Amino acid sequence: MNLTRDEMIRYGTIAAIALAVVAPFLTGNLFLLNLLSLMLIFIIFASAWNLLAYSGQGSLGHAAFFGIGAYASTLIAVNSGISPYISIFLGAAVAAGIGILIGLTCVRLKEWFLAMVTFGFAIIVQTITVSLLTPITGGWDGIASPRLLSPDITGYQLIEYYSILMITIASIVMIWYILKSRIGLAFSAIRENELEARAAGVDPVRYRLLAFALSAYLAGVAGALQIHHIGYITPEIFGVDLSFWPVTYVIFGGVGTLAGPVIGTIILTIIWEGLKMAGFTFSRYIIVGILLILVIIFLPKGLVDLPDKFYKWWTHRKKPEQPQAVLQE
Amino acid sequence: MYDLGILLQIVFWGLYAGCIYILLATGLNLIFGVMKIVNFAHGEFLMIGAYITATVFFLTGFNPYAIILLSMLTLIGIGAIVERLCFRPILGTSKLNEIFLSIGLIYIFTNSAAMIWGDEWQSIKSPYQGIAVPVGSLNIPLDYIIIIVVTTVILCGLYLFLKKTKTGREMRATSQNRKGAMLVGINVERMDILSFGIGCALAAAAGTLWVVSGQVFNPYMGSIPAVKAFAIIILGGLGSIPGAIIGGLLYGIAENGAAYFLGGVWKDAISFIILIIVLIIRPTGLFGESGE
Repeated sequence: MNLTRDEMIRYGTIAAIALAVVAPFLTGNLFLLNLLSLMLIFIIFASAWNLLAYSGQGSLGHAAFFGIGAYASTLIAVNSGISPYISIFLGAAVAAGIGILIGLTCVRLKEWFLAMVTFGFAIIVQTITVSLLTPITGGWDGIASPRLLSPDITGYQLIEYYSILMITIASIVMIWYILKSRIGLAFSAIRENELEARAAGVDPVRYRLLAFALSAYLAGVAGALQIHHIGYITPEIFGVDLSFWPVTYVIFGGVGTLAGPVIGTIILTIIWEGLKMAGFTFSRYIIVGILLILVIIFLPKGLVDLPDKFYKWWTHRKKPEQPQAVLQE
Repeated sequence: MYDLGILLQIVFWGLYAGCIYILLATGLNLIFGVMKIVNFAHGEFLMIGAYITATVFFLTGFNPYAIILLSMLTLIGIGAIVERLCFRPILGTSKLNEIFLSIGLIYIFTNSAAMIWGDEWQSIKSPYQGIAVPVGSLNIPLDYIIIIVVTTVILCGLYLFLKKTKTGREMRATSQNRKGAMLVGINVERMDILSFGIGCALAAAAGTLWVVSGQVFNPYMGSIPAVKAFAIIILGGLGSIPGAIIGGLLYGIAENGAAYFLGGVWKDAISFIILIIVLIIRPTGLFGESGE
């Protein structure tokens, strides 16, 4: 193996995309295809959360943007009759707009305060959906949402899967591009040290708002995709569960890395569905909870860090005792 | 328009609801003061306290108010284990880790409870149900009065413990200056585990009071009260116990007022709306000095 790190990443990415393209033919099973589609949607959602975390802001209420994107897209599609393929992006724009609004209250807040406000925000949005907006949202009963493709088309599941795959890849490429650009640099500068970032001419407020808007937009895309995929929406979409999942996925994979959300979502989905097939119900949450805590304590950089850690341990193991250790005493 | 009696009734409901929030918020504040961490899974301890009370009550038929001691003692143990296994290893790492770790704890505790006790809503009947004490023009349920008294007793006990005992003084010293406390020979790790245990015991007391007041509970009920308690300590200032008490009472009253005037669905949302408004005006909380 004479590959450099970059080459390994490049080949790994190509292999992953190729695998995603041929996956429907490997499984050949509608249940698994549906699962794969949902997994891709959650990759977008987790990546969106991760983008916000990259700028040092940890949200506990991302279900709000997920749900706003879903509701907005559904309502736009139902009332104007345009294709869900377009309304997804319009709905997400609504989520981004609201993301900026909530971002305005959050930009000056520290970690815990931010987590609290975002958590509370999801509850407020849910309350408004079932009270003031009941005439258009259907209250707790929810409303039907147009499918991404009409079920009359033959092989519509397959087309839907590839559409979702395209949007997922596009989202990740977009995030990669953002993180690589000056914006990404500004995000990490703010995350590491806000004071120094400001001294270097980075306006923290502007970039934090930008992170909020981008993250909310992508979360909105993910929410709209999921709802158009399922065909029905209820206010449960703003629930705590959906706020916590992206966090869990990203921490599993590795916070602040491009591959983290992808790897975390894939591995956790496999664990999750595997446990379900093995007949676990409540206990799979317990297992995931324990795994999550173990990852936080022992692998703070997530599973993406595992190869590096293993490599270090492997090379270290072969080396003889370092004489420096004696000198230090 | 609205007559005075109803307003007074709302204020009184608020006082009683506030008691549960005060206990939760004081526990969170104590833990924050000593360890400088925030446990979002604090409400799960309330939930477990509630279930312990209900289970013992169903099994033995004791007066549920007496079970408060048992649930507090159990939770001291659980809290100590959680502190030792989960929070101590991440002390001093990124602050976001505490939030993430709490999510793991929430998964573990809610679903363990769902496995043991099932996930339906439950409730028990207090032995004093239906008894009301006439105070002026109001009829106040006896349970509410007992709850307010019990909360006051617990808070006074905590105050005396912190002010008068050696351990309490050591705990306050640790909360003021961790390094300084270490230098004068205080075992700060013992203080961590102790404060976490006491914080959990206060949550357990809140859980018992929640149950005996006849409110319904299920394994997932913990997160909303916990987040409200957290909102209260943000309002009252992190680490300030008087702030937690005032904030808790105001929250209880605001919530019940909103439920009465705007409708029940607004009960949870209103507290966050207040929180967001306060944070827009003062990003460090009403009485907080610096945000950290």
